[in-house]
Amino acid sequence: MRLSVLTGSLILGLVSAQSVNAASIYAGQAKAAAVCSQCHGIITPSAEAPFPPLAGRDMDYLKTALKQYRDKTRKSDIMNAIAGSLSDDDIGNVAAYYAKLKP
Amino acid sequence: MNTTKKHLHKSILTCLAVVIFPFGAQATSDTSKNMHQLYEDNCASCHGSDHGGFIAPGLNSDTLKGRSPTALRTLIMTGSFDTLMPPFYGRLSDDDIRGLVKHLQTTPKQANPAWTIDDIKASIKVYVKDESTLPAKPTYQINSMDDVIGVAARGKYGRGSGSKAVFINSVTHKQIGEVSTGTAAHIIDYNPANPRWAYVKTDTAEIFKVDLYSMQAVRSVKTGFNGPGLGVSRDGKYIMAGSYVPHNAVILDADTLEPIKTFELEGIDPDGKMVSSDSGMIIGTPFDDIFAIALENAGQVWVVDLKEGFPVTKIENVGRHLHDAFLTHGGKKLMVAAYDDNIVTAIDLKDRKIIKKLDAGCVPHVGGGSAVEVDGRILGFGTNFGDCDKTVVSVWDLDKMEVVKQVPVAGGTESPAAHANAPYVAVDIISKDRRARTVQLIDKKSLEVVKTLDVGGHAYFPEYSADGKFLYVSAGYSGDEVVVYDSTSLEKVASVSMESPAGIFSHGRVRYMTRGLSPDEMKGAK
Repeated sequence: MRLSVLTGSLILGLVSAQSVNAASIYAGQAKAAAVCSQCHGIITPSAEAPFPPLAGRDMDYLKTALKQYRDKTRKSDIMNAIAGSLSDDDIGNVAAYYAKLKP
Repeated sequence: MNTTKKHLHKSILTCLAVVIFPFGAQATSDTSKNMHQLYEDNCASCHGSDHGGFIAPGLNSDTLKGRSPTALRTLIMTGSFDTLMPPFYGRLSDDDIRGLVKHLQTTPKQANPAWTIDDIKASIKVYVKDESTLPAKPTYQINSMDDVIGVAARGKYGRGSGSKAVFINSVTHKQIGEVSTGTAAHIIDYNPANPRWAYVKTDTAEIFKVDLYSMQAVRSVKTGFNGPGLGVSRDGKYIMAGSYVPHNAVILDADTLEPIKTFELEGIDPDGKMVSSDSGMIIGTPFDDIFAIALENAGQVWVVDLKEGFPVTKIENVGRHLHDAFLTHGGKKLMVAAYDDNIVTAIDLKDRKIIKKLDAGCVPHVGGGSAVEVDGRILGFGTNFGDCDKTVVSVWDLDKMEVVKQVPVAGGTESPAAHANAPYVAVDIISKDRRARTVQLIDKKSLEVVKTLDVGGHAYFPEYSADGKFLYVSAGYSGDEVVVYDSTSLEKVASVSMESPAGIFSHGRVRYMTRGLSPDEMKGAK
């Protein structure tokens, strides 16, 4: 009984972990298209724009930077406001998506 | 001409007065001049040099009345998602953005500025003095010039290094050249008499004469301040260009770009009011030595004969708020869309009168339009800008001039593409949410949507290659690529990078006149 409950939750855990992983790139793509790409573009920002490119950047770096912007330990009027609207999942998804793109 | 200039002076005075007095001693005419310059340099190419709106909304004391300055400042900083409005954070200082908001909220829409035939003449720039030094054939490998596809790349900010016309070989899907246009390229037209010349018009109403063999601009001319209207005559000798600002049109020598005659666009609208009018579409036709031009606000179509004095025949009561159009029946019939009446009006260019007004969904924007032969009849396809309860693409029988079907699609649409050799008519969904990433395919025979492609970015302006084997789509806004599909399997086969691609124009259009017609049908219909 206990074993089956454990197995059950283990399987459930695996399934949901897998679906989170599978969803993250897609969710990241949607979030990037809706939030980040306005300034940073998908592959490159505009040649005329003062924003850094994100495609192919290190995933952990992107996550850390976004979290710093969100908790305002890194200051930028605009990024503090934009990162403030992102959940942990959003940050993970967006970072995974941009990290995977070839610049 | 003199009155226009007088108006301009008066309007500048009013403008100064309005700007100076509210700010009292702090504001000087210098700041207002600076803000005006900032507007002209950053905003006017889309929002209109007269603050009255162009491809983006008008920004003036009337349209921005009651809007929160903070909200406007934020909008300028971050841009507006799902539109072409880019983020100006980091490009303009916070002081400038604040200053601009104040300036816009206190500046009325300006009177029609003067841009006379002399101004047009003086604006001509010559980049290649001796055209006999140009190469006699293309400097790149291409089987037929019909295989050239031109893309109007806007550039994220509607100006700068990203603004250019990009030319692609639609057999190899490789870029073969590009021509910088300074501000956003909007329309590309080709010379029907000589395949080497293309004409690119920008949102700021400059026209570049482009040598496609050497892929460079040889001349340019500024025909106004804003306006996309551009047509080339069937003999390739004349160009006609029309503006939103000011309200005029001009016939140019297609070779030298010298202005020959200007036209003040005004007339009695369908409600009986005399109005000054924006220029809508301008079209040359293989049917005759004429230009047809739509007067947007006056609801009239003018037919200009290309002979001594360029006489004009005015066709009135075509519809309210005209915009674009397409040709059918060898160029003898013109289908003109009227936004505010939700109709497309069929005009006979031979008799110069209205044939019929056809239902056309909700705010019809036919783009370049499409006409294609299906089972022995010519069907026309018309897209709709509007996001109404019922979003449809209208299909008309162009022989009988009647509505065949209103095909339900996922949202508002802007431009249809068809080809004699391709099984589907492609329409771009432009509704401002995730649907904007998509293009829908209507089966030519069943007249039903059979497939939706997720192109990415804001996907719009589909166009088939001249042979009909490939479908090109702009993944505009933040997509920054043109995506190429196999027209039958609908598999993605290539991608070409550029900043904010918009309109796509196949050189093949010169032969098939309207997208979807085959050159043979065109001859047959004559």
